[in-house]
Amino acid sequence: MLTAFDILSDHVAAAQGTRGLPNDAAALEALDEVLKNGGAPDATAPVAAPAPVEVDADPFGFVPIAGAIESFDPFGFEPVGVSLDDFDSAPDIAAPWTVTFLPSNAALSNGGEPMLIIRELELLGGSVIGADLSRLPSLRDMDPEHSYIGWTVSVPAAIEESAITDCFDFVDPDSVVTIVRGDSVAPAAPAPVTQAPPLVAPVVSIASIAPPAAPVVAKVAAPASPEAPRVEPASQTIRVELTKLDMLLNLVGELVIRGSILADRLSPKDQERVELPQLSRLTREIQDTVMSLRAQPIKQSFSRVPRMLRDLATETGKLVTLETTGEMTEVDKGVIEKIGDPLTHMIRNAVDHGIESPADRIACGKPPEGTIRLSAEQKGARIFVRVADDGAGIDRVRVRAKAVEKGIVAADAVLSDEEIDQLICAPGFSTAETISNISGRGVGMDVVRSNVEALGGRVEISSVPGKGTTFTMVLPLTLAILEGMIVRLAGQRFVLPLANVVETVQPEPGQVRPTTTTGEVIELRGNYVPVRRLTRTFGFADNDARSPEESLVIIVESETAGHVGLMVDTIDDRREVVIKSLEQNLHPIRGLGGATILGDGSIALILDIEALVGPSSSVRHITKGLAA
Amino acid sequence: MTTTNAPGERKIVTFSLGTQIFGIDMSSLIEIREWDEPTPLPGVPDYIKGVTNLRGTVVPVIGLAERLGWEPSAIHSRSCILVVSIAGKQAGFLVDEVSDIVLIDANEIRPAPDVEIGEPSVIAGLVKTQTRASEAQGAAGDIMVLLLDLEALGLTRQMDIAA
Repeated sequence: MLTAFDILSDHVAAAQGTRGLPNDAAALEALDEVLKNGGAPDATAPVAAPAPVEVDADPFGFVPIAGAIESFDPFGFEPVGVSLDDFDSAPDIAAPWTVTFLPSNAALSNGGEPMLIIRELELLGGSVIGADLSRLPSLRDMDPEHSYIGWTVSVPAAIEESAITDCFDFVDPDSVVTIVRGDSVAPAAPAPVTQAPPLVAPVVSIASIAPPAAPVVAKVAAPASPEAPRVEPASQTIRVELTKLDMLLNLVGELVIRGSILADRLSPKDQERVELPQLSRLTREIQDTVMSLRAQPIKQSFSRVPRMLRDLATETGKLVTLETTGEMTEVDKGVIEKIGDPLTHMIRNAVDHGIESPADRIACGKPPEGTIRLSAEQKGARIFVRVADDGAGIDRVRVRAKAVEKGIVAADAVLSDEEIDQLICAPGFSTAETISNISGRGVGMDVVRSNVEALGGRVEISSVPGKGTTFTMVLPLTLAILEGMIVRLAGQRFVLPLANVVETVQPEPGQVRPTTTTGEVIELRGNYVPVRRLTRTFGFADNDARSPEESLVIIVESETAGHVGLMVDTIDDRREVVIKSLEQNLHPIRGLGGATILGDGSIALILDIEALVGPSSSVRHITKGLAA
Repeated sequence: MTTTNAPGERKIVTFSLGTQIFGIDMSSLIEIREWDEPTPLPGVPDYIKGVTNLRGTVVPVIGLAERLGWEPSAIHSRSCILVVSIAGKQAGFLVDEVSDIVLIDANEIRPAPDVEIGEPSVIAGLVKTQTRASEAQGAAGDIMVLLLDLEALGLTRQMDIAA
């Protein structure tokens, strides 16, 4: 059924000339199948949108005084008022959840069948207690692809709120979903709407039988109005240009800097007065708030995965279910925009290479349906995005053989399991024998790794043969902030990204040895690591005379050159810095990743380790032989 | 910044560099700052003195004298940085002294003599005007102001060559 909606939206795309015509014959066949099996017949014709109401009408019988209702059978849709009364009469029990769900107009055309969500809520024990037909136009104006009906669903109090929100994970952002405890939501118009006139009659007759029900009539009407404003907050957002936010961030940063300059000028006695710490706390709070404005739930990136997965499952003939957790984790907008591609590749990989075919899975004693778990969580200043499958795991023998065949590793190289796993990220690597629509081009994981690294993150791979593979993208929480080590070089301060730092060494006499006129190595626990003097790289000749013993060697790790030692004068500090681009007003400078403004208002340049120690630097080539 | 200039009139900021008086269009000026030693950058041409912090934005500082191929200007108490906006990018120019803001008639701008060889001319034109400085010196008559073409001075082009 979902496939049918996907195909439908493909048709829309095709009509707009953006895509080729999808293969709808297969989909129609599948739909026929569904029809034959009598599964969800109401979804085959889009006009059937109101159908769920009728289908769901029977759960209304759950109301404890069902017997009384049955006597008013023609008005069987009416017991809403009674059920509310029932909740009211038991105030010591936590009120059940009342969920109102107003699918966006485009929900049906986007494949977001509201019925499935209602079904999911029913699985949690919920029941539809009312439908809002107020948006329903006259039959002539009705667009069969629009969803006009809103639902009110009552879910037992014992269910966690998160479980309810999970049901709405993939609804269109335009949909209005409110989840409140208690009975505050009165169903706006009980279904079906044609029965509206006799509405009064049953309530009155219930009242005559059961006197306590009488106040309910008022109650049903009253809460409806206070509810109206409560729906509002969901839509109370404003769009702000990113540049304005950035400007605000800059100004707040400046405020912090000026504050600390001011503090330095005051006498110690004045500094202890209460106003200054208060001011600095306030400015810090403003700074944090402004930073958080850029954060968005990662849900945005996750929301397109289900559709992709269904397509992939159809193409490969595999059965895949998706489990997502943590999609409300908030990440910087820049990160969200850039993880889309890596995520796509990782999901494709998981389906194409990870999950086995249903037959193979049964042979291994696994359920025929493979599971892909997509999760996001925040740990400190990093975001972990995981794609885990329960497939076959990485076939290390095959990966190794392929890598040797493609000349990525030497035939006699000794590799650990982890190193072999990392090989699948090598450029040009692919184990697929043929290039398919999904994979085999040998660019996928390479793209994942380079994209993630461009964001200042890394990719971790863990695989257990027969149990599955987990890819983890470890990403910085924000692109604007970097954790760095402030080092001094020829009197000038530089920021060294902490992510690259392995260790720092105070060289003993003789530990750093010259190899050529310009090259040096440092002996480190029996290994020789090439050392670069940054003063020389940057052409600050003035303290070239400084002996290694007076300097510090910071061992950094780089993707292209492995471990390299950088010789600096001293380490000043370790702190989080706000990255300012040099490109904005200048041009990119090789070896510099940007600049930052330190607490005293002065500028420190951020070192780009990859570019500094990268392959184009001549020194590395000389020392490489020794280091290996 | 006023926009009530009569048609054909332009406001220019004049400043001295060595013995010459230069002018830039007022509309591209962002602010005039005191000289503050910028943070030097590695691997850039000599005329880029470094970068400085302008309200949270990193702005390059260019020695205008070196940029024009003259002797570097000596830093003194009246040295200042003219922060300008060139095609959306901000840059600071180190100049010897800011003299005045004068109103000129666009019709009086004479084209620059076409004598330069190699790179395109950075002089947009010449204009005769009276500045406060020249009046104070009691100098009779007008002085010659060289109008700078900021677009031609724009860093990006030179940067591409330098990078």
